[in-house]
Amino acid sequence: MQVPEGDVPAQESLLVRILIKRFLYRHPKAWGSAYLVAGGVHVFLGLILSAYGFWWGTGLIPIAALELWVAHRLLVAPLPLRVRQLEHSRARAVDDAAEMLRRIERDLHDGAQAQLLAVAMKLALAREKLAAAIGGTGPADLQRVFELVAAAHDGATVAITELRDLARGIHPPALDQGLGPALTTLAARSQVPVDLAVDVPERPSAAIETIAYFCAAELLTNVAKHSAARHAALEAVHTGGLLRIQVSDDGNGGARLDGHGGLSGLLDRVGTVDGKLRISSPPGGPTSVAVELPSRA
Amino acid sequence: MRIVIAEDSAVVRAGLVEILADRGHEVLAAVGDGASLLAAVEAHRPDVAVVDVRMPPGYTDEGLRAAIAIRRAHPGTGVLVFSQYIETRYAADLLGAAPGGGAAGVGYLLKDRVADVGEFVEALARVATGGTALDPEVVTQLIGASRRAIGLAALTARERDVLALMAEGRSNGAIAGILVVSERSVEKHVANIFAKLDLAPSDADNRRVLAVLRYLGPA
Repeated sequence: MQVPEGDVPAQESLLVRILIKRFLYRHPKAWGSAYLVAGGVHVFLGLILSAYGFWWGTGLIPIAALELWVAHRLLVAPLPLRVRQLEHSRARAVDDAAEMLRRIERDLHDGAQAQLLAVAMKLALAREKLAAAIGGTGPADLQRVFELVAAAHDGATVAITELRDLARGIHPPALDQGLGPALTTLAARSQVPVDLAVDVPERPSAAIETIAYFCAAELLTNVAKHSAARHAALEAVHTGGLLRIQVSDDGNGGARLDGHGGLSGLLDRVGTVDGKLRISSPPGGPTSVAVELPSRA
Repeated sequence: MRIVIAEDSAVVRAGLVEILADRGHEVLAAVGDGASLLAAVEAHRPDVAVVDVRMPPGYTDEGLRAAIAIRRAHPGTGVLVFSQYIETRYAADLLGAAPGGGAAGVGYLLKDRVADVGEFVEALARVATGGTALDPEVVTQLIGASRRAIGLAALTARERDVLALMAEGRSNGAIAGILVVSERSVEKHVANIFAKLDLAPSDADNRRVLAVLRYLGPA
């Protein structure tokens, strides 16, 4: 029940809030069971009390009614709220997926596709010149043909690199080996030196690993782009059904959620699996962003 | 030819300049967005403008809109539009852009066609001299989507080939070259096509294109 913005007001009773909220916060899957057990108890009490009410006089009936009302609040009333939260997060997941496809299409169009088109043009020119030279209808300008082929070769090499980077952006191969190796590669590629601490004894589900990886990648990119930091730290800890990714830096701070930037994108992505995002970034720094995800989506 | 190029990808732009310069054509300006294109056409009055559909700032159809504006303001300047994907609607918009509508000096090609330098430069020359160049894929889509399937069914296979090439904007001579037949027999096929489809015969290549497109089009 933790959509991070808190745009949906919580409706649970004060008792639940005080006693078990903290526990449930850390174990999202326990919400359902807790409500179910509590609701069941109240249904049982309500039915017993109404049965006794018929024997012992009607004085117990209002109490029985109260029990059934509490049971209703616990079992039925939270459902529309949860449905709305799921609708929110599903809409964001769909938007996220559509946005990713759009970005891939743009990257392909501007990158490898354009490069390969230029390569094909150069090769077409070189081919014409060679054909003319072989057929004796044109000058044998080998130097020019060489330059064209060399430029085409360079272009093809650039296209290969761009395709590889793009493929890695869709699914980093290192992630197949687990979050540890993937984050090690990620930290090694960072422009700002990164201290890495990974404590992930058990692998979370693949979807969670992917989200965690891209969160870490985005956060490290932000450090390099915006913070002017000299050092960053990346921490990944998986314990008690919760995966926590934290990126901190010694830069100039001032990072915030403004509804458009990369952090808002992260929040949306994290929200699709009921995860949370915490930002601490006072002006002047340091900045620390923590992402908490359930082990399984 | 005196040419202005508008293409947002720097590497493709450089490639276009290279192949056109290599053939002795004069590239007056090579720009990366629609507004610069309009300014360049205004300043240089080229024979033809090569325009990519998708350009900044919105990366949707900025190039197409600039091309339509050029068609309206400078009917004498040929416009060859190319795009990554063929949208039959774009072709219709372009052909309808000139006052009174017309296929003179209009081209619409798949971007990949520039890889075949010879074909591309030939299409460009056609557009620069008031001809038409439509991508074979546009024509295939139009024929495939045409509601006049019954009329088309009356054509022989060879006549359909001729119809498709005619719709691309080729002259009888060019069609004869591609199909490896005499120009005389192409003329005969064309006459048969116009008779079977009940179209008014026309000598000018681009009026012929327009007649065929009107026939094939959804209208």
